[in-house]
Amino acid sequence: MEDIAQAAIEGALGNGASFADIRIENTVTTIIEMSDGITRKSLASRLKGAGIRAFADGAWAFAQTTNLTRKGMRETGEAVARLAVATKDHVAEDFIIDGPTFEARTTLDIRKPFEDISLEDKMDFVKRIDSQARDFDDRIVNTRTVYGDLSSSVYVANSLGTSVYWENSLPRIISAPTAKEGSNRQRSFKSVGVRGGYEAMESEAAETVGTRAARQVIDLLSSVAAEGGTYDVVMDPVLNGVMVHEAFGHATEADNWPAHTTVLEDKVGKRVGPEHLNLSDDPTLKAERGSFEYDWEGTKSRRRSLVKDGVLNELLHSLETASRLDMEPNGAARSQSFMYEPLPRMSNTFMEPGDWDVDELISDTREGILLCSFNYGYTDPSRGQFMFQASHGYLIENGERGQMVRDVSLAGQILDVLSKVDAVANDFRMDAGTCGKSGQSVPDMTGGPHARIRSVPVGGI
Amino acid sequence: MREKLLSIGEKAIEDVEKLGADQVEVYTSFSKSFSIDVENNAVKSASRDTDGGCGIRTIIDNAVGFAYVTTLQSKDIAEAVERSVALARASVPDPDFVSLPAVSSKYPSVKGLFDPKMESISSEDSAELILAAVDAAREDLSDKKVAVEARINLAVSERGIVNSLGVSGSSKTSFGYLYISPTIKEPNEQTSSYEYRISRNVGDLDPEEVGAIAARNARGNLGARTIEGGDMPILLAPMAVSTVIGGGFSGAVNAEEVQYGRSYISDAIGEQIGSGILSIVDDALLSGGIGSRPFDAEGFPSSRTDVLEAGVLRSLLHNSYTANKDAVDNTGNASRASYAGLPSIATSNLVVEPGHQTQEDLISQIDRGILCRQTGDRPNMTTGDLSAMIMEGSYIEGGEVKHSLKNTLFGINMLDLLDRVKAVGNDTRVTVGAITPSILIESGKVTSG
Repeated sequence: MEDIAQAAIEGALGNGASFADIRIENTVTTIIEMSDGITRKSLASRLKGAGIRAFADGAWAFAQTTNLTRKGMRETGEAVARLAVATKDHVAEDFIIDGPTFEARTTLDIRKPFEDISLEDKMDFVKRIDSQARDFDDRIVNTRTVYGDLSSSVYVANSLGTSVYWENSLPRIISAPTAKEGSNRQRSFKSVGVRGGYEAMESEAAETVGTRAARQVIDLLSSVAAEGGTYDVVMDPVLNGVMVHEAFGHATEADNWPAHTTVLEDKVGKRVGPEHLNLSDDPTLKAERGSFEYDWEGTKSRRRSLVKDGVLNELLHSLETASRLDMEPNGAARSQSFMYEPLPRMSNTFMEPGDWDVDELISDTREGILLCSFNYGYTDPSRGQFMFQASHGYLIENGERGQMVRDVSLAGQILDVLSKVDAVANDFRMDAGTCGKSGQSVPDMTGGPHARIRSVPVGGI
Repeated sequence: MREKLLSIGEKAIEDVEKLGADQVEVYTSFSKSFSIDVENNAVKSASRDTDGGCGIRTIIDNAVGFAYVTTLQSKDIAEAVERSVALARASVPDPDFVSLPAVSSKYPSVKGLFDPKMESISSEDSAELILAAVDAAREDLSDKKVAVEARINLAVSERGIVNSLGVSGSSKTSFGYLYISPTIKEPNEQTSSYEYRISRNVGDLDPEEVGAIAARNARGNLGARTIEGGDMPILLAPMAVSTVIGGGFSGAVNAEEVQYGRSYISDAIGEQIGSGILSIVDDALLSGGIGSRPFDAEGFPSSRTDVLEAGVLRSLLHNSYTANKDAVDNTGNASRASYAGLPSIATSNLVVEPGHQTQEDLISQIDRGILCRQTGDRPNMTTGDLSAMIMEGSYIEGGEVKHSLKNTLFGINMLDLLDRVKAVGNDTRVTVGAITPSILIESGKVTSG
């Protein structure tokens, strides 16, 4: 692998590039989807190829190839360098790509590799989870269960001397049942996703995901749509993680700085929230879905303290953004696959716990709304706005959890919302997710403790 | 290349049949694309991508297996053949599976799907196109501090579908996308907007107009304020209709979702579910349409389907599986983004039939309400409840646009939204999700604060 990577890099450097890098990937996936006990999808794939980037005087060029011969790699390296050189006439700013180099070969400690588990065993597992949801209650009219596993090996090299090999292994199980009572229809979604081998699907959380999703969808049958208005909101750990991710995490991705597309541009080192607020992004956590030892540029990853004691402390960097902003690279460049260029991205993103007891936090809120779990969220860092939707919640009445509500949306401004977080609880939990940016999806985790935001607009019907 | 794709498919079918399959389908595609990204008003990067691969669907005793590989090399395809068969053997048989599509009628001729310029345009000319959009936006905002992001993507793809029942189709299509987003930085406010064009033809990308519209909307977004909420009329501009109807209605008339009871629309064929002035068609035969095609992703001939006719639900969108299950005609809406997936169901070109009024006419009818130009939200597809953030929009009072909005959401159930369509504009444009004009909704719940 080293020799074909070098062929590409030499091909690029010989044709006008001042920097070149390459990612060679070999990934195998299996997806099994069952609905009402029937296999609706059983899918296997192999992704095999290389993505090559060249840099010349401020211009990048990228190309990918599945021709992994020495000759194919050299030719792609040459072509991509020529494209960078042809592009540089339109570039405004010249800069240099520099950074530390790494040489490493890391392997993952997996007890049960996916390839050692038969398709029949995986199918049985999915069938079991699907039946769990279906057998929970007669009002469940449709079940949908999806199992996915992905095992990857990636080799990254660059012209500065980095040469890194790493592996990934990600299993996930999802249960999404639908329930019906009269004309009232509801759906729910629960998943367990970690970094590890098939043994991770034998955990209690994974083995009970069908029951837990079914319980939630039945509960939702007696929920009501929330009335729109301005509320004091208590977020559960999962939703808090989504808030941190959407309302703040994206805006700290450092590619927003050269592009001038974040409302945080002038805020580095300045206060963005109350002193009790700490937000982190940590790809070094063990066995989490968003973890990796080296990023897709071969930079060693480390914990990032995005907001420290209420001050914007650190950004998420690629080699380019660290070079241009004269900051330290911290291993945040990720790609969906070899087919895409690496971008600064989050990994496992969370709010650090505070000191409130959860029950005290709810009773102290008196009148408000407790929002739980999430359907989806998105953000627009250049306008500084975000929105996300809780899958369900509960009205807080007289300091107690009351009527269940569903599909509650919350919108806000990146620069306002953190200052409204006035209480952070002492619990902690994270949930598996997938984050999209510029057409690329990467696995991640979001979480934190329960926390309260004062006076935010909540959408209703 | 098309011949090669078909022969790869024929060979793979033979190999799968040798392993004991009842039916087999092979989808191959090869695409080339070129893109340029602009950051802070200048070109930042260019990329040239080629993507070829093969997806194999195998049916054994009513159980389906699927495998794909991201190359067109025979040894990789041989592995996919084996994995596809192994998955079919391990799967739980589906009693509702009847058959893959067989050869039926001839494929219709659909014009304007391939522009040779998309293949021959130089990287220099592509750069000029995107920079023309950037320059147009900057010129219109020359009194402001502005950072423009933009992207142009020009792609040509060829695909081949063959199955063991004799289906054999191939096509070559082109696709162009030009996107621009200016961000304006004021001392106490930062705002942005975006605009795009998508087309089969390079000549339609119209960079100057795209740049000018994005600039005008970004300027209009300055001075955003909250308003007093309540029930009020909501005017959805085409890009908002694209998300709300293009995403939120087309997903609900997906026959698979309806059959599983997961859609907010159920068993309503022939019933009045929308306003009498709302008609929606799925038209795969539209000349030059970005979703047009002679055959769908299973090789079934394309057609034009009335989905909603004067508010009455006429048809769901089907692929071969759901049509067989309901014993109705296949509408040819099998869809797959590439070789890398099983066919699902999606619209081809979702067309909202235009009315006669301009967007200005519609605004002039609103005493107190909002204009939503962009939102990223879609409804809960099971309950139909929609709670949407107004990403870009304005407050309307006395028939005039007053100021742009921030921290504002609107909420409505989709069945109410369809029913409360009070007027349909004539400002039709092509968006990612639909070909549509503006739509005026009589009343929805607005929350702001």
